[in-house]
Amino acid sequence: MNKNLLRIDYEKYSLANGLQVILYQDKSIPVVAINLWYRVGSANEKEGRTGFAHLFEHMMFQGSQNVPKEGHFRYIEEAGGSLNGSTSIDRTNYFETLPANYLELALWLESDRMGFMLPGLTQEKLDNQKDVVMNERRQRYENQPYGLAWEILFSNLFTQDHPYQWPTIGWMEDISKFELDDVKKFFETYYAPNNAALVIGGNFEKTKIKELVEKYFAEIKKGNSIPVISAPQQSLKEIKKVIHEDNIQLPRIYLAWHTKEAFDIDDAALDVLSDILTSSKNSRLHKSLVFDQQIAQDVSSFQYSAKYAGSFIIVSTAKPEVTLETLKEEITKGIDKLVKDGITEDELTRAKNSIKSSYIFSLQKIELIADHINHYNFFLNEPDSFVFDLARYEKVTREEIVETARKFLLKPHVELNVIPKVK
Amino acid sequence: MNRSITPIPEKRLTFKIPELKSIALANGIEVSFVRKEKLPIVYLEVIVFSGSRFDPANKKGLGYLMSMLIDEGADEYDALQLNEEFEKLGSIFSVSANHDTIILSVLSLKENFERSLELLSKIILQPRFDDKSFEREKNKDLSMILQLKDEPSFIASSAFEHRVFGDTYYGFPEIGFEETVSRITNNDIKDYFKKYFSASNSKIVAVGNLDETETRDLLNKYFSKWNSVSGNEIIFNQPKRTKTNFYFVHKTDSAQSEIRIGHISKKLDTNDYIYARIMNTILGGQFSSRINLNLRENKGFTYGANSSFHYYKDSGLFEVSTAVNIENTGAAIAEILKELRGIRENISAGEIEFAKSYLIKQFPSRFETSIQVAKYLESLIIHSLPSDELINYTKKLELASDNEVIAAALNNIFPDELVVVAVGDKEKVFDQLKNISGESPIELDIHGNVIT
Repeated sequence: MNKNLLRIDYEKYSLANGLQVILYQDKSIPVVAINLWYRVGSANEKEGRTGFAHLFEHMMFQGSQNVPKEGHFRYIEEAGGSLNGSTSIDRTNYFETLPANYLELALWLESDRMGFMLPGLTQEKLDNQKDVVMNERRQRYENQPYGLAWEILFSNLFTQDHPYQWPTIGWMEDISKFELDDVKKFFETYYAPNNAALVIGGNFEKTKIKELVEKYFAEIKKGNSIPVISAPQQSLKEIKKVIHEDNIQLPRIYLAWHTKEAFDIDDAALDVLSDILTSSKNSRLHKSLVFDQQIAQDVSSFQYSAKYAGSFIIVSTAKPEVTLETLKEEITKGIDKLVKDGITEDELTRAKNSIKSSYIFSLQKIELIADHINHYNFFLNEPDSFVFDLARYEKVTREEIVETARKFLLKPHVELNVIPKVK
Repeated sequence: MNRSITPIPEKRLTFKIPELKSIALANGIEVSFVRKEKLPIVYLEVIVFSGSRFDPANKKGLGYLMSMLIDEGADEYDALQLNEEFEKLGSIFSVSANHDTIILSVLSLKENFERSLELLSKIILQPRFDDKSFEREKNKDLSMILQLKDEPSFIASSAFEHRVFGDTYYGFPEIGFEETVSRITNNDIKDYFKKYFSASNSKIVAVGNLDETETRDLLNKYFSKWNSVSGNEIIFNQPKRTKTNFYFVHKTDSAQSEIRIGHISKKLDTNDYIYARIMNTILGGQFSSRINLNLRENKGFTYGANSSFHYYKDSGLFEVSTAVNIENTGAAIAEILKELRGIRENISAGEIEFAKSYLIKQFPSRFETSIQVAKYLESLIIHSLPSDELINYTKKLELASDNEVIAAALNNIFPDELVVVAVGDKEKVFDQLKNISGESPIELDIHGNVIT
């Protein structure tokens, strides 16, 4: 495969106020993607004040000094663009993809809310978005089968003083309590140019774009230094079992182990391990539980890694009449066998080939490339890490995969059983 | 600098519409082909005109179950080996089934395309349909049906569609029901396959880094043995709209109510679908639409609300969809009804200009990935649109007059002939629905049948 395909020819610099700017030109497409990461997520929240980073993301779409409520959406949609934002535990991103001739519009909108969001703020807007977010929580979690499983799992896996202990959407009672003053403080603390990185990808003129970025972002004042997050080392002394009743037909088991953070030396091996365990019909646990024994309806696993911690999760739904104890026994057997007998060269090759082609497939959308560049910049401080990242997977050996399984998956874990409500 | 001035766009860019080629294979299959050279990627799909429209009444879910089985072994490979062959290539095979079609596709790197195509041809020409796989997949299918009882949004949509389409083939979910799937035998699967999976009943879409000759040669090489069988047409009896009815499905402990409101509409009609699309963009087709701004940004009832036209091969569906906190079920429905009347009474020139601008300018971004291009071509094929629709689309949008958009509202939205369905706790939604219509709402089971 041609390695040059994955080389990103970019230019990175910073404005005097600390805003990082990364330019990636591709004149073969008619669009431009703007992607802005603020280095703030739910990990910056405190217990009792959860969900605020996400609620704040909603407020960023409520207008600013020169943009009316709903204006952000209107301007971009009228230009034929698409837009959104998302909040994770580590960061919040905002992005829009537009016809290339509308680039300046996007810079105007993003800079107005980065520098001048507070003058547009009202109590009415906050009350409205609190209602919207509470409905988002109901729709995406509370009214979904198994919808509360993740927050139950993570709040048991992490200790109360760890910033990954609560869900990004926040606890319902916390969301309902936020006040206007919280919005102001949060904005002043975290939404400063020195806490953000702006990626512009696609069709633009290189000299012109630097002038435009300077014009719209340079006058925004640098903020104070950002409060440091403390994330104490996590480890479980013993197995922790949690049972949750839900409106469901089939019980489901979740197993979670502490592992390592994103881009740690073990991170790639754990990703490949999850592929070998559950990514296809042939994968170890799928073949055993779903295909051969037919005791499970589905099984999946992944290494969930972020800035301050990582965890390895296995999830499986029982077939009617099958108990979660049986599922757990078979999952444990599968892991033990892998640790004892190792994996085949064939298994490793298949996993690596799938990872490689999914990389190439992802290069089709400029919006994804721009977000990836910001992702690499955030974790590695090097935007052009596509080749490096893929090489992490290509280098993984059979021995390393078995070793990570031994190192992490034989330790104590959290087990969550979601079971049908007794009526 | 003066920030109060909204920047104006630079000169509009020219966009080259993908060049669509039609290729005929030796055995008569038509191939829609677009070359896309930037990346070494090829996407190809085979559209088989089958789907749940051909399910026998007592075996609903047959087409869907067949689609689950078709890749469980083919020619010399059993189910696991076949999957392993795709994995070695890093290619993604997938199959999807809906009411009108079953679509089988591969996404692959160019260097592995020929082998991926060979595997796809084995799946389509020589599936095994062995009994062991049948038992396993049928069992999985039945468990999936069981799990769908937990999904409020699925229940709302299938109950709504059943009220709109009645006993016609668009009036039940593709996956079928527990009783009907239980009746299906492996012989039914094989018969269904023989009857509908034929060259004369299929079309192919190919998009990617290949030239026309390569595409033709490869497809002839692997699909020339695919035979044709005589036609299998059935007639669709379009149900009539009736006066508005309010329904609910009881679901204990609901954190929200799922709402669906709408009615049957015509199939994609080249005379006015462009105008209907502009009108719906204003009504509920984008974030800045009347329905979403009202229910979300003004009232805070929901995380989002939208309206859309779904086009089937033989019919159409107009649907407003949202989920709201249960206390606001009645208020949200009342607002939606208001919007449906409102769009017939008044649409401003500014709104029309805005919607046209959105639809015209977003057009180039619909061709970024191979799959996006292919899905566009697929919709031309399924709705029998001429291939120059691709070239004329933005021109038609530009030429649309205000009167044509207003007429599209009058001809496509019928606020007095609606099906209104809410899924939630009976004790909480019953009175709210009753307060709107003055009559007791009708209770449905999860499949949309009236409980008497």
